[in-house]
Amino acid sequence: MLLSVGLLSAGGTTAALAEPFEGSQGGALVDEVVFTRVQDAGQIPRLIDGGSHHLFAHGSTSVALLRQLRDSPRAGYDLSWGTATDLRLNTAGPILSDGRLDPVHAPEIREALNWLIDRHHIADELYGGLAVPRLLPIGNAFPDYARLAPVVRELEQYYRYDPARARAAIETGMRRLGAERRGATWYHAGEPVRIIAIIRTETERRRLGDYVADRLAAEGFVVERIYRNVAESSRIWLGTDPLDGAWNLFLGAWMATRIVRDQADNLSFYYTRRGRPDSWWQAFDPDPEFDALAARLENRDYADWEERQRLMARGLAMALKESTNVWTVGQLNVWPRAANVALAVDLAGGVAGSALWPYTLRFTDRPGGRVVVGSPSLLTAPWNPVAGSQWIYDQMITRALNDPLLLPDPYTGLFWPQRIATAEVTVEQGAPVVRNHDWLALDFAERIPVADDAWIDWDAKAERFITVAERYPDGLQARSRVRITFEADFWQRRWHDGSPLSPADLLLPMILTFDRGDEASPLLDPAHRPALDAFRHHFRGWRIVSEQPLVVEVYSDQIHPDAETMVAARAPSLLPWHLIALAIEAEREGSLAFSSNKADRIGAEWLSLASGPSLPVLRRQLVRAQAEGIVPYPRALAPRLASDEVATRYDALDRWQRERGHFYVGNGPFMLHRVHPVEGSVVLRRNPAHPDPAQRWLRFTAPAIPEPLLQGPLLVERGEAATFTLSVTHDGTPYPHSAIERIDWLLFDSHYRLVAHGSAVPQTDGQWRIDLAAEQLAALGTGANTLEVAVTSHAVALPAFAAHHFATVLE
Amino acid sequence: MKREWYPLFLHLSRRVVVLLLTVLAGVYLTILIANMGGRVDDLRLMQIRGEIAESVREDAAFREMASSERNALIEQRVALEVERLGLDRPFIVRSFGYLQRAMLLDLGRAEQMHSDSGSRSVRAIITERLPATLLLFGTANLLLFAISVWLALRLSRRYGSLLDRSVVGLAPTSAAPAWFYGMFLILLFAFIAPVLPPGGMVATPPPEGRLAWLGSLLQHMALPLMAILLSQLFVSIYAWRTYFLIHAGEDYVEMARAKGLPERLIERRYILRPALPPILTSLLLMLISLWSGSIILEQVFNWPGLGTLLFAAIGMNDTPVVIGSVVIFAYLLAATVLLLDLAYAALDPRVRIGGAAR
Repeated sequence: MLLSVGLLSAGGTTAALAEPFEGSQGGALVDEVVFTRVQDAGQIPRLIDGGSHHLFAHGSTSVALLRQLRDSPRAGYDLSWGTATDLRLNTAGPILSDGRLDPVHAPEIREALNWLIDRHHIADELYGGLAVPRLLPIGNAFPDYARLAPVVRELEQYYRYDPARARAAIETGMRRLGAERRGATWYHAGEPVRIIAIIRTETERRRLGDYVADRLAAEGFVVERIYRNVAESSRIWLGTDPLDGAWNLFLGAWMATRIVRDQADNLSFYYTRRGRPDSWWQAFDPDPEFDALAARLENRDYADWEERQRLMARGLAMALKESTNVWTVGQLNVWPRAANVALAVDLAGGVAGSALWPYTLRFTDRPGGRVVVGSPSLLTAPWNPVAGSQWIYDQMITRALNDPLLLPDPYTGLFWPQRIATAEVTVEQGAPVVRNHDWLALDFAERIPVADDAWIDWDAKAERFITVAERYPDGLQARSRVRITFEADFWQRRWHDGSPLSPADLLLPMILTFDRGDEASPLLDPAHRPALDAFRHHFRGWRIVSEQPLVVEVYSDQIHPDAETMVAARAPSLLPWHLIALAIEAEREGSLAFSSNKADRIGAEWLSLASGPSLPVLRRQLVRAQAEGIVPYPRALAPRLASDEVATRYDALDRWQRERGHFYVGNGPFMLHRVHPVEGSVVLRRNPAHPDPAQRWLRFTAPAIPEPLLQGPLLVERGEAATFTLSVTHDGTPYPHSAIERIDWLLFDSHYRLVAHGSAVPQTDGQWRIDLAAEQLAALGTGANTLEVAVTSHAVALPAFAAHHFATVLE
Repeated sequence: MKREWYPLFLHLSRRVVVLLLTVLAGVYLTILIANMGGRVDDLRLMQIRGEIAESVREDAAFREMASSERNALIEQRVALEVERLGLDRPFIVRSFGYLQRAMLLDLGRAEQMHSDSGSRSVRAIITERLPATLLLFGTANLLLFAISVWLALRLSRRYGSLLDRSVVGLAPTSAAPAWFYGMFLILLFAFIAPVLPPGGMVATPPPEGRLAWLGSLLQHMALPLMAILLSQLFVSIYAWRTYFLIHAGEDYVEMARAKGLPERLIERRYILRPALPPILTSLLLMLISLWSGSIILEQVFNWPGLGTLLFAAIGMNDTPVVIGSVVIFAYLLAATVLLLDLAYAALDPRVRIGGAAR
C-alpha cells in the first residue's frame, strides 16, 4: 500500500540537497518578490511559460495541471502532503428516528468498509496518482507514521482490499442487527436497508463518492446519493442530529497545514466524544477500553516512549475496529513554479505554509532578481502582528517580514534556532520528552520551583507585572522550565525602520497578552479572553534572567514530546513598541481595533499596518506621539528605554512611512516596499541589513527522501538461512548512516501474515544487511513471500519503503 | 403658473412613491434571497463551528488542553462570533433591520469581507471597486454606443450595401457573451502572440510614473474592451440601424425628402429627433448598468471591479455587501426612471402630464 510513497518527489528541475550558491548578500537570495493576485489556476502553466510569473501559492490537486507542468520545459512543481479524505459514518441508532435501520451503527460493518474499498484504485484511478492509500488516522508523511512503520504495515496488510472478507463481515453485522437478505438486497422490518450518502461535488470527491456508493449497492444496500457542496453538506452532516438519519455516510476531508509531530491525540479526536462538541462526535459509543486508551494517549499518561508506542500500536488497531472514520487516501498538493526557481517547501503546508521560503527562494541560474508570485488571494484581511489576518495567503507574505527566534524544519517539523544561541529545557522527572538536536540541552528534575521574581500576571490598573512571590507566597511549582539564551549581539539587530531592538520590544507583547484580556483595561477584547484563559491554564511565569546576553526563563505546565517544540512554544515574541504604541492609542480612542471582533463591537476599523483607512489614523497618532513622546505602559516600559529612544524611534517610523506609504515595520529578510490593494500586488524588497548570510538555510532546498533498493535471493530452500542487501541512496549518492533513524524489516508469508520483523544491520555508508535465520524462514512455509523494509530518516518525516518478493520451497 | 406645476408635482409625487415602494420590495426580496429565507444562518453557523474548531485544533497553544476544556473554548469562541454576526436573533427580525438601513442608504459593515485596503465598511468596499468598473465598462459602453449609433445612422442611408449586409450577417456573433471572446483573446494575444497582458488592471508591480501607469492601464484594458465590443457591437449596430430605417420610412421623412431638404437636416431633425427618447433611455440604462459590472468577464480578466466583488460577496454569504450593491443599483434605477419621465416630457411633444394636455 505504501510502496509508491518513496517514488514521489518534486518535478521539473530538481535542485540539489544543498546546492552551492554564489552570493555574499545578507538575508534573502532574491532582490524583490512581487505578490500578485491570480485566481484562475488554469492560467498557471501559460503564465510560467510566458515568464511573467515564477511561483504560485496555489496548492492544487488537479491531475491536468500536473500533466501540463510536467510537459512544460519551463515549469516545475513541488509536492506537499496535508489533506486526507475519509468516509464519516453516522453511528447513531441502530434504529433512527424515522424507524429506519442505520447499518453503519454496527462496528463490524464500519470495519468491513476497510476491506470493501480498494484504496489503490482510489489513489491511482480516481485521483489520477495524486494520492496515496491511507488506512490510519495518522498522516502518511508525519513522524508517527515512520516511527510506527512495522505496526502500520502489518495493519495495512491485514486491512488490504478483500471484498469477500468485507461481505462476510457485513453479513455478520447485518444479521446481528436483525436484517435479512432477500435476493441481492438487505431488508429490515420489511423495508430495503437504505444508506444515505452525502457526496461532495468536487470532481475527485464525486468520483470517490460514486465508487463507494457503487460498492455498497453491490453489497445489497439501497444507496441514496445526495450531491452537495461544502457548505450544504456540512449543514447536513454537522448540523443535524445523527439520530434523525438525514445521512449515513459523508465523504469528508481533513487538512493539516504543518507537520504534526505528535498525533497521539488523533484517536481521541476522531473516534471518541472528546473530539468536538458537535453532534456527530457526541453520537459515538466507543469500546470503553479504547476510550480509556485514547484518553491516556491524549493526556500523555504514559511512563516512557516505549509505553507510548505500545499504546499507539494497540490504539491504531482498535481504531480500525471502531472505524467511525474510514480513511481512504492521503492527497498530494501540487505547487507550481518555474523550472529555474527553488525554495524550501513544507512537507505538509506546501509553498504557502513554508516558514523558510523567504530564506531559500531563489533563481537557480542567477543570483538576485525579481520573483513574481501568483496568489489566489491578497490582502484578504488587515495585517497587524497582534490580532491581524490569519489567512494563509496573507501569512505567507507577512512571514517574510518578520524574523522569528526559531524556524521549523520543513521536512521534520523540528525547530532550529534562528536568533537564539542555545536553550536549556528542564522537565519533571518521568515526563516523556526527548531531545532531537544538539543545539539545546534537556534534563529532568524532581521539582521545578518557579523563581520568586518571575512575572505571572499583569495589573492593568497599576500597569505593572505581578510576581510569583506576590501571587503565591508559598511558592509555585511548574512541570517545565525553558531557559533561552539569545545571540550575543541580539540587541544590535534592527527593525526595518532602522530602530535597534530594545527590551521594551520584548516586554510589550507579554503585557498585551494580559492587558487585552483584563476587564480593567481599555484594550479589553472579549474575543481574546478565551485564548488568555487557555494560556493562564499552563503558564507559570517568566523572567528576564540577564539582559546582556539576553537570557529569558519561562515556566509552564505544558509539555511536548519534543524538547525543540517546547522551546519554540515558550520563546517570547517581539514587537516594535513605537509602532504598537500608535495602535494602542488608536484603540483607546475607539478609532481602530487590533482584532476583527473588537472592531465590529466598537464600530471601528480593524487595524491594518499596510493599507486602508487605518493609515491616516496611525499618521495622526504618530504626529501626536512625536509631539508628546508617548510611551505605552510607561511605568513598565519607560525604565527600559534608552535616553533618546522615544524621539529617534518615532522619527525613524515617520521617515519609513513617508517613503513607503505604510506602517508595516518588521525585522525579517524582506521589507514591505509597496502595497497596491486595488491593483492587487504587494512588493517586498530584500532587507540589506538582515544579519544572516543568504545561504544559511539552503540545506533545506529539497527533502532528502531515502531511496531504498532491496535485493536478495529469489528462491530459498527450506532449512536455509538467507541474506538480503539494502542500498539506501538519495539522488544517486549513498544515504549517510548518521542520517538514518532506523530501518525496520518485516517478513510476510504468502497470506500477508507478519511472520517476523527486526532491524537492518548497517554496513558501509548507504549499505545495510538483513539476515534471516533458517527458523524464521521455516515459519513462512512454502510459497511466495515478501520482505519489506521501512526506512526512517532524521532528515525527513516521510518514511520510504521497499519490498522484495521471494519463494520458499522444499529441499 | 401654480396651476401648471401642480399636475407635474402630483405626478412626480405619485411616481416617487411608486418607485420607492418598488425599491422597497426589490431590496427586501434581495434580503430574503441573499439569505435563502434564513437558511444561510444555518450554513454560516456550521461554517463558524467548523472554522473555529479547526483553528483551535491547529493552534499549538491549545494542544495541551484537555478535550473538555478545548471544547469549552470552541463553544466560547462560537458564541462570540454568533453574537458578533447577530445570528442569535431570528432572521426575520434582522431582515427588517437590514431593510431599514438599506432604505436609508446606511450601508453599514460587511460581515466577512474587507475592502482591498482593509476596511470593513460596505461603502468603502463598494467605492473602492467602483472606479475600475466605471473605467472599463464606461469606456466600453460609451464606445459601443457612439460607434453603433453613428454607424447605424450611416448604414440606414446605405441600406443593402456590402457593409450593411456584413453587419447583418455578423449580428448573430453577439449570441456569445463577452467573457467567451475574452478567453479566446487571452489565448491569442497574451499567450500565442504575447503582445497584451492576460489580466489585471496594471502591470505587476504597477509602474511608478503617472504616464507609465496610464500606459499600462490602457494596455490592460485593451483585451477586455475588445471582448466587450466584439460581443455587442454588431447586434447593437443592427438594432439601431433597423430602428433608424423604420423612422426613415415615416411619411414625414418622405415629405421632407420630397421638399428637397438636405439629407443631414433630415437625419438630425426628422429621424434623430423623434428617435431621441429611446436613444436617451438606452444611454441611461446602459450607464446605470455599469453599476453591476460583469461578474464573469471581470473574473476572466482578473479585473478588480464590482462584478468580482459581488461574486465574492455571494460566495461568502456576506449579506450587507450584496444588499449594499443592490440597493444602490435600485435607487439609481428608480432615479433614472424618474429622470426619463421628465426627459420624455421635455423631448417628445406628444407626451403630456395628467390633465395638462386637455
